Amino acid sequence: MALPAEPPTPPTSSPPLPSDVQVTPVRDAAAKMTFIRFPASLYAGDPNWVPPLEMERKDFLDPKKNPFFDYAEVELFLARRGRDVVGRIAAIRNPRHLEIHGTKEGFFGLFECVNDAGIARALLETAGTWLKSRGMDTMLGPANFSSNQDWGLLVDGFDTPPAIMMPYNPTYYPALLEACGLSKAKDLFAFELSASAQPPEKVVRIAEKMRQREGVTVRAVNLKDFPAEVERIRSIYNSAWEKNWGFVPFTDKEFDHLAKDMKTIVRPELVLIAEVKGEAVAFSMTLPDGNQAIKAANGRLTTFGLPIGLAKLVLASRRINRLRLITLGIKEGYRRRGLDAILYLDTLRTAHRLGYAGGEISWTLEDNHLVNRAIESMGGQRSKVYRVYQRPL
Amino acid sequence: MSDVFDKCSNWKDYRIAKATGLYPYFRVIEASHGATEVEIEGKRVIMVGSNNYLGLSADPRVKEAAIKATEKFGTTCSGSRLLNGTLSLHEELEAKLAKFLNREAALVISTGFQTNLALASILGRHDIVFSDRQNHASLVDGIRLSFSTERKFRHNDMDHLEQLLAQAKPEAGKIIITDGVFSMEGDVCNLPRIVELAKQYNARVMTDDAHAMGVLGEKGRGTSEYFGLEKETDLVMGTFSKSFASLGGVLAGPFDVINYMRHNSRSVIFSASMTPGSIAAALKSLEIIEAEPQRRARLLDIAEKMHNGFRAMGFDTGVSVTPVVPVHIGDQVKCFRFWRALHEAGVFANPVIPPAVEAGHALIRTSYMATHTDAQLDRVLDTFETIGRKLGVIPGTRPTVYEPVQIARPASAVRSNKASEKWAAGSAGLLADKGGITFEQLSKMSSREVAGKIFDAVEQLTWRAANLQPEDLRQLKAAPMKLWEKRGELPGLLLEKGAHFFLRNGTGTDGNPADRI
Repeated sequence: MALPAEPPTPPTSSPPLPSDVQVTPVRDAAAKMTFIRFPASLYAGDPNWVPPLEMERKDFLDPKKNPFFDYAEVELFLARRGRDVVGRIAAIRNPRHLEIHGTKEGFFGLFECVNDAGIARALLETAGTWLKSRGMDTMLGPANFSSNQDWGLLVDGFDTPPAIMMPYNPTYYPALLEACGLSKAKDLFAFELSASAQPPEKVVRIAEKMRQREGVTVRAVNLKDFPAEVERIRSIYNSAWEKNWGFVPFTDKEFDHLAKDMKTIVRPELVLIAEVKGEAVAFSMTLPDGNQAIKAANGRLTTFGLPIGLAKLVLASRRINRLRLITLGIKEGYRRRGLDAILYLDTLRTAHRLGYAGGEISWTLEDNHLVNRAIESMGGQRSKVYRVYQRPL
Repeated sequence: MSDVFDKCSNWKDYRIAKATGLYPYFRVIEASHGATEVEIEGKRVIMVGSNNYLGLSADPRVKEAAIKATEKFGTTCSGSRLLNGTLSLHEELEAKLAKFLNREAALVISTGFQTNLALASILGRHDIVFSDRQNHASLVDGIRLSFSTERKFRHNDMDHLEQLLAQAKPEAGKIIITDGVFSMEGDVCNLPRIVELAKQYNARVMTDDAHAMGVLGEKGRGTSEYFGLEKETDLVMGTFSKSFASLGGVLAGPFDVINYMRHNSRSVIFSASMTPGSIAAALKSLEIIEAEPQRRARLLDIAEKMHNGFRAMGFDTGVSVTPVVPVHIGDQVKCFRFWRALHEAGVFANPVIPPAVEAGHALIRTSYMATHTDAQLDRVLDTFETIGRKLGVIPGTRPTVYEPVQIARPASAVRSNKASEKWAAGSAGLLADKGGITFEQLSKMSSREVAGKIFDAVEQLTWRAANLQPEDLRQLKAAPMKLWEKRGELPGLLLEKGAHFFLRNGTGTDGNPADRI
């Protein structure tokens, strides 16, 4: 998969490396906990920040629990000034990405940093050196840890909290990364859509006509038949995304892991499978925006051993009124037939029926014009822009 | 006031091990049946825990030579080499060994351990010794007895060695000392790179070929022959208690160096010399080693069979490329239980636990003789498989694929096998932190920190409970049944947990990392 033709320009003048900051790899449980807890102090007071659950992050970084570690190599680094933690970064070598794209691109991710370009540079240099020593020639990111999870840096749309499984960061991050010689590799878009607005007449007409002519039936996912449904979705997913920029197919274990995670938050009415003559050819998955609930827990399920966070989370999860349409995939050979319009329309109707106010459709590649136009024609407004940066090593 | 003996009476480890029946040391062998099988507590067991690589200790020719020498010269020399303890046999063995090893001179010393202590005499105040962190204890002590400065490099980590060499004063005398074959994990030192670095930084090179002499190389001359770097290796050390079916050690190198040690090493001049029987046995063994290369070939065939046999079952034999076949167990107490079960099933092997290996990497060390029969080896493999499954070290069914071993056959220049990630991570110290805490750590924490730890544990439990899936619940329901099925194993499991508790909170783990056999 080729990157944009113009090569990124190397930094003209990079910020000086601070002499009193030490960047060290995370090698023990205590340091890992520090790594996980650092954002809490950094984002204190930011109303839009959604503190992730500590335990979820712990599992995410546990090689025994996160199937990403089965093939990829990850090193975490902490930047300290004296005893204070001032930044963190992960360096990621993803052999599956290398194999599929035939490039030498390494990743950085989980980047958090105080507003100091020198520290940002120290972190990025450390990750860069780590990647370079593993034969990489380009660094892409932030990726936490791959395009199958969340990635990109928020560069526009800081006014609202992020949707579930989307990144968020302080407004000064883009300037920090750019000061360190990183430049845009690709932008990712998120669109906002209200569930109460009537979909445009024209779209409804086309969709209904298609439904009739192609014999498309749309049904909700059947959780009682979970393994078989996962299998159907997997085959569509891997066929639909294979030509996308930066895409690496899930391993079976990763997909099952994700499916298991999703199962706890999913509303089956909002996971739609479109069938033509009994064959599943397209699907869309919309999730309640769990971030609204997770935010209430403020990072922990218990306080002083009491399940206060858990109670808040459960209560808040009943009041979720937003959704995120997270994926929509159509099998090769069934594209450009309006299947996407049918799925958008049915999702919108169901969301309205279930009483959701609206939500986000994310993310799409900036140059995936077909999809972006379809979303806009449904009445979607571009609400956030995420940027994947790159830098030659 | 403290008493010197306090530490002895406070030492718990021995009593715990004895009380639980998991004490694996100082086992009394009552009889030997051709060295490959021995009798312990009246029971015949297969010996896969000796270093008698070529099986010569039971060879009639070697036995007869020892008897004849004893008849001719008596049972001992009653004195040191320097004074009254040098026999014609000593000189003969030294001459033959010097010729065998292609060296100007050789010096035989009463035990292998003392042989390395003799090094102290040539390591002066301004010299710097670079030694592998996993070198044998005798090398560690030999260096410690000298006035030189020691710089230890991480096991087989050539970048670290280079870093240390670069940091050293250029004008200081330098020597790199390494085991040829590492005794516990069976891997071979990176001699080609060591020699390169030695040239670059003007250092001498010495290899301890205790486990390599008679095993590696076309003629059995050890690591340097195996790599074709005999001229570049300045000093070679070997022992007679392994392939040479005797007791004692040898240092071989330039005449001046050997002669200096002969007259200045305290472990030579203040120790009684090798007994006539021992020398004669070593002499005869040398003859056989030179005349019967098929023994070495058979030994390496056996090593390959065992490595692959274990790996096919799902065991991890790590980085070894030699007849030292370590079988990775992991947990220390499980390792003792494994050893106990092996013993009961008629297999003699040795448990190796920290500090001889990294924490969490306890292993059963097996080593083989050229005289083991295939039937014996198959029995060993079967026994390991049964016990491994019972104790959950290997899965119930064999894995579909495994990576075959690459054995250090002559002219193959294999250094180490691709180790499992687990093992490699352990060597890099990544697994060192298990997240557990000991009483000692706990007592040092403030009450706030303790409360924090407890709340974290509650948080973790809550998270696990909140994430319970239907299948997890089903498993939970089935747990009592499973427990019932495993009831025979329960005492062992309880023992493991209990011993863990004591070992983690007890003392006795601050031994020397180089305490190896």
